[in-house]
Amino acid sequence: MSIITNDSSTLTKFLMGNEAIARGVMESGCAVATAYPGTPSSEVMESLTRWKRELNHSIYLEWSINEKVAFEVAYGASLAGSRSAVVMKMVGLNVASDPFMSAAYLGVRGGLVVIVADDPGPHSSQTEQDSRFFAWFAKVPVYDPSSPREALDMTIRAFDLSEKYQVPVVLRPCLRVCHARQNVTMNTPGDLVNVGKFEKNWTRWAATPKFRLALHGELNQKIHNISSQERDAQPRLVAGTPDSPMAIITSGSVSAHVKDVVASNPSLSDISVYKLDLPYPANQESVQEIVDSKTRTLVIEETYPVIEFQIRNRTKVLGRTSGHVPQQGELVPEVVESVISEFSGIRTEERLIPNIKARRPSLCPGCPHRPAFFMIRKLFEKAIYTGDIGCYTLGVNLGAVDTCLCMGASIGMASGFAQALTGKPDGNQIVATIGDSTFFHAGVPALINAVHTRANFVMVLMDNNITAMTGGQPTPATNFLADGSPAVPIDIEKLIRGCGVEFVEVVDPYDHGSLEDVLKRARAFSHEQRAGVSVVITRRPCIRTDSATVSGTKFQVGENCDRCMTCIRDLECPAIQFIKEDKKVRIDMDMCAGCGFCVEICPSQAITPWSI
Amino acid sequence: MIQMILCGRGGQGIVFLTRLLGEIATKKGMAVISSETHGMAVRGGSINSHLKIGAFSSPLIRWGHADYLVSMDSSETFNNRHFLKQGGIVFENSLAPSASGVYRIDASGMARSLGKIQLENVVLLGFTASLADFEISLDDIKQRLDADSREMVRRYNLKALEAGANAALVHKT
Repeated sequence: MSIITNDSSTLTKFLMGNEAIARGVMESGCAVATAYPGTPSSEVMESLTRWKRELNHSIYLEWSINEKVAFEVAYGASLAGSRSAVVMKMVGLNVASDPFMSAAYLGVRGGLVVIVADDPGPHSSQTEQDSRFFAWFAKVPVYDPSSPREALDMTIRAFDLSEKYQVPVVLRPCLRVCHARQNVTMNTPGDLVNVGKFEKNWTRWAATPKFRLALHGELNQKIHNISSQERDAQPRLVAGTPDSPMAIITSGSVSAHVKDVVASNPSLSDISVYKLDLPYPANQESVQEIVDSKTRTLVIEETYPVIEFQIRNRTKVLGRTSGHVPQQGELVPEVVESVISEFSGIRTEERLIPNIKARRPSLCPGCPHRPAFFMIRKLFEKAIYTGDIGCYTLGVNLGAVDTCLCMGASIGMASGFAQALTGKPDGNQIVATIGDSTFFHAGVPALINAVHTRANFVMVLMDNNITAMTGGQPTPATNFLADGSPAVPIDIEKLIRGCGVEFVEVVDPYDHGSLEDVLKRARAFSHEQRAGVSVVITRRPCIRTDSATVSGTKFQVGENCDRCMTCIRDLECPAIQFIKEDKKVRIDMDMCAGCGFCVEICPSQAITPWSI
Repeated sequence: MIQMILCGRGGQGIVFLTRLLGEIATKKGMAVISSETHGMAVRGGSINSHLKIGAFSSPLIRWGHADYLVSMDSSETFNNRHFLKQGGIVFENSLAPSASGVYRIDASGMARSLGKIQLENVVLLGFTASLADFEISLDDIKQRLDADSREMVRRYNLKALEAGANAALVHKT
């Protein structure tokens, strides 16, 4: 066993990758950090808020309304001279792409690090996009950490590089870094860095197209200088011997799998394994030198061929472009092992092939979204259900979500369906479902657009007063900020009325009768009277939060049950199970949250409060 | 060098166990790396954690390399058994009797009788730590749980750990 430290009293902690990144942000003297939650990035801001509190540190932190705004806030702080950071998941960078692309041209003042977590797999995302490619597209350097320990170190290097070249720098951790834990040694947080007062210069900070051309030239020069002068842009030998006829070039979390695979097999352990800390802009000459000096070279990186495409002569290179590395899916150690095995011609051990019957995720027992979806399905039987991003995407399990595109798309797509189906004899009813945080994030412009263009559909805003899926972050409607200090809460009803919606009703989704009544009236407004968008706000706190109120009553299934399966198939509560052996429906007492909605929906009235 | 898979359903405290063992290993000065499941899967879906003690770079355990499989749920044991090496040992929360290479304990039942179903993970941990041969002892875990400043949490955890350890005694002869 290797010993990290002999002195257990030093600041060595078992840190998650996201915590390590947050620690790097603190140690860099960053003054302003912003984020929008999204798996696998959310714990960076959560850790920052914890350390700000514990260390009584003056860093400014915010959960922003969306990634675009988060980027702009961080960018403004950079121009003001402060070191700043912005954190998001990779699809968040799509939302922030407008300021991101432009900021590359304009450059920065205080170091600006854009932390973008990728999700190869994907495990909790819509795409497997590679943010290193996005960085290349924007001509922005990108660090690719391989472990929590390296993530902390690279965060600090990213700030230094950003300030040295006055360019934003991306730190791209993959999920296997974000949600890995490792013993990491921490240092003292640095003093807040400020590079000096903002000086007005419109040809730079408000550059018109004429000046943008010159700025593009400057950016090209910066990228050239980084690739040719920075040590991090050169491949570094991390395993094997330099004299092997075979080389592997890798970066990021997959490089850790590569190291373990070659280390575990003596026939592979000689292969020269090179790692690029800065996969873009790579020092192309050094990479080419390695490739030219070997009989063959394997490039293995996640998820797109970023390093591979920077190699000018790829005749001796195997990788994605040659079909040796899978084009999709996470490069887990088994995949890495079989790729290396094929590349080297050295057979590796036979393995048991997994036979997985993975349990699907479900809305929690007692989740206020469940009765809302149930009632939507019941009252809008043949409707098209446009869904959105959040816990409530799991409305698919209740057959009440038909589409899921991106943040806020439930509303825009509902408009599209409505316009395309207007006047059609079988004109479908349309119900859009969206959560409170997602509505703020990207739903508001879509709602204004729908009202303005006279679209007819029902929008159900599932308001649980929190960003639930990612672990309970505040939204603009909450009365506290990331660090717990007071916020100005935004009134959702006023906001929706301000968007021009005439029909706005709030209802408790646990209240079966009122929920049914309100949804019927919304249906009449939008689909019978064709009077425009109606909005029903189903409001109740997330069952996982402290503000959730549960009755404590548990429920049981009695003899009246005729096994119609309404509660299992249509309500889809995980606490209600069909026991095959005795052909009975049973409520799992450990899981039942006591919401009692099943009592209301059971056609045989077989569900009653539990008594001993 | 120990490689351990911990698995179960979302909400069963798999991440808590992984973190606890990792923190103890860190405190003892051992190199340790792990990987957790977060995001949508934690809403009752299948969950597993990988925990590796020793000189490893990757947080993921390869198929056929795990020494131990600690499972909160028998169907998840099935989903994760490909990780286990030949001769690897399973510790499972289940009503079924133990078998060769599979030690079983009704951790849910014991947690329920302690008054909190949420303690099932700590019961299984006490059971596992008493029977598995690795660098973290039952005493190490006891010390760590004893340091919790929340009195109720501390007391319940210690009771659950002890219940699991006691259940292991029949296997130790």
